[in-house]
Amino acid sequence: MEKMNLTEEQIERYSRQIVLKEVGGVGQEKLLSSRVSLIGLGALGSPVAYYLAAAGIGHLNIIDYDSVEISNLHRQVLHFTNDINTKKTESAIEKLTILNPDCTIEINSELFSPDNSKETLRDSDFVIEGSNNIPTKMLVNDTCINLKIPFTIAGVLRFHGEIMTIIPEEKTTCYRCVFDDISDASKGMSCSEAGVIGLISGVLGCIEANEAIKHILNIGDLIKNKILYIDLLKNKFDSIDVYRNENCRACGEHPENLVENYQYGIEDILK
Amino acid sequence: MTFVYTKLKLEELNKDDILGVTLDFPAATKSVPENCKRQSLAELIEIQEIKETKKAWLLKLRKL
Repeated sequence: MEKMNLTEEQIERYSRQIVLKEVGGVGQEKLLSSRVSLIGLGALGSPVAYYLAAAGIGHLNIIDYDSVEISNLHRQVLHFTNDINTKKTESAIEKLTILNPDCTIEINSELFSPDNSKETLRDSDFVIEGSNNIPTKMLVNDTCINLKIPFTIAGVLRFHGEIMTIIPEEKTTCYRCVFDDISDASKGMSCSEAGVIGLISGVLGCIEANEAIKHILNIGDLIKNKILYIDLLKNKFDSIDVYRNENCRACGEHPENLVENYQYGIEDILK
Repeated sequence: MTFVYTKLKLEELNKDDILGVTLDFPAATKSVPENCKRQSLAELIEIQEIKETKKAWLLKLRKL
């Protein structure tokens, strides 16, 4: 058997999770050598970034073009009052490197778009989608399907949220199988219109981070071929089966070249 | 932390290898073997009390 490469400090830092049957020293080394990409450093991305850095993900690739605004602070707990007007990537890297120097943070402050999505996510072991708009979720879906990278997508509004995980190599149901037509996406309500309680983002963000860890360690059950729906007002945690569309334009038997050709309209959403 | 170090060492060993763990905390003589058993890591073969020094014990564990 191979010798562990953990330092004394790492053994102590991660001791409470090394002790877990599902993790151990072998698992901890897997986490430390893994690369996770996170799109969005807002409400969902904040707990994802915190908990993945804390758990010892070795390389975190964080992507967000936006700057911190005061209205973010009730839910985007990665950012503080004195970060207002700072790029979210700059705010994030400052906190995460203090939290855990083991975690190498790579920042990308460009708008995540079809022009750069493949290059940005290439070489990721897992991708976590934490944006606040459907076109970006769809672009993440299509890009990860194309690159065959496992990923998870979540969304929150008011007191509820949803999450699903897609494993392209296993041909599980993808986001486009369920929500193909996004032509009306711009007419959907945003957090600024409908409102959102901050902590629902915390719950869903933590579940997203957990999906990444479970996949990397090959433990537990992923939220595959289903959507987990959470309503914190009614204390409901429901799992809804969703089925793969064999004619899906992203993951079906005859996939289209969507990243290159589909009009996601991301720039329009952000105007 | 004793169980953490025990577990990490066991991960480096092959099946049926024997690991000796020295403890000076009485409760650990019970908790370390129990945790090893619970996680199917190792079975306790023997506990020896080490009388030469202040109270201490040597656990012998066989990797499963």
